[in-house]
Amino acid sequence: MDLSARLRQGNLLPFVGIGVVAGLFAAMFGIGGGVVIVPLLMLVAKMPPRMAAATSLAALILTSLIGVVRYAGTDHVDWLGAALIGIPAVVGVLIGIRFQRRLPAEWLVLGFGVFVIAIGLRLVIWG
Amino acid sequence: MEHGPEILALAGLAGIAAGILAGLFGVGGGIVFVPTLVFLFAFDQLDAQATSLAAIIPVALIGAWRQSGDGQIDWRAAVLMGGGAAVGVLVGAEVALRLDEATLSRVFGAILILVGGEMIVSSVRKLQAKRATPAPADGPRRP
Repeated sequence: MDLSARLRQGNLLPFVGIGVVAGLFAAMFGIGGGVVIVPLLMLVAKMPPRMAAATSLAALILTSLIGVVRYAGTDHVDWLGAALIGIPAVVGVLIGIRFQRRLPAEWLVLGFGVFVIAIGLRLVIWG
Repeated sequence: MEHGPEILALAGLAGIAAGILAGLFGVGGGIVFVPTLVFLFAFDQLDAQATSLAAIIPVALIGAWRQSGDGQIDWRAAVLMGGGAAVGVLVGAEVALRLDEATLSRVFGAILILVGGEMIVSSVRKLQAKRATPAPADGPRRP
């Protein structure tokens, strides 16, 4: 069974599966879904690294919106706090993408590997 | 919130750093947002996670818009994963209540270290192969 070929033929169920796994891990370990989505898109769906990162970001539109809606009506979301870090982060994301355009795919994967190991170490050491 | 200019400047710098990670690696930035809110603004964990989600919305929107212009997004996959994640979060919240989270976190952390190691090894191999064959015929060439 060649999963990447099935994906190209339009079998979309695996993407739902990747999303479910990402949501599970996000809720269980308090990490963002992207850390799970990007490696799975690359390893399972054989997506090129840059497209995996971009598509993950697009999926996070939906997950962050749904997440905020879940908290709506509680006073857990501090909109001023969100703006104070979120607006500079919009500047950052444009810088990051600009940088990503020039970065060869291998270096992108290498950098992501280091990033993922750092998160893994954090979880192993601090639980 | 009453905060001095240095706290606001630090928050801005942390936000830019989170955004760069988001743009480069396709993560939301929560990994930086949550500790920033906890340490700079003394948010509790739940407030920080909820607020971080709100901060991710504009980052994901603008980032995806820019990447979409480059033709880098598979929107079908994104929508399906987003929907799947909504289900996964609900199940995960239930599971987290019933299991020993500290142990699970360590297992998951170990998996991430392995995945990261695999990525580093495979990319270093590709870079070495590239160096061995200096001019790939199908690679992008700049004059």
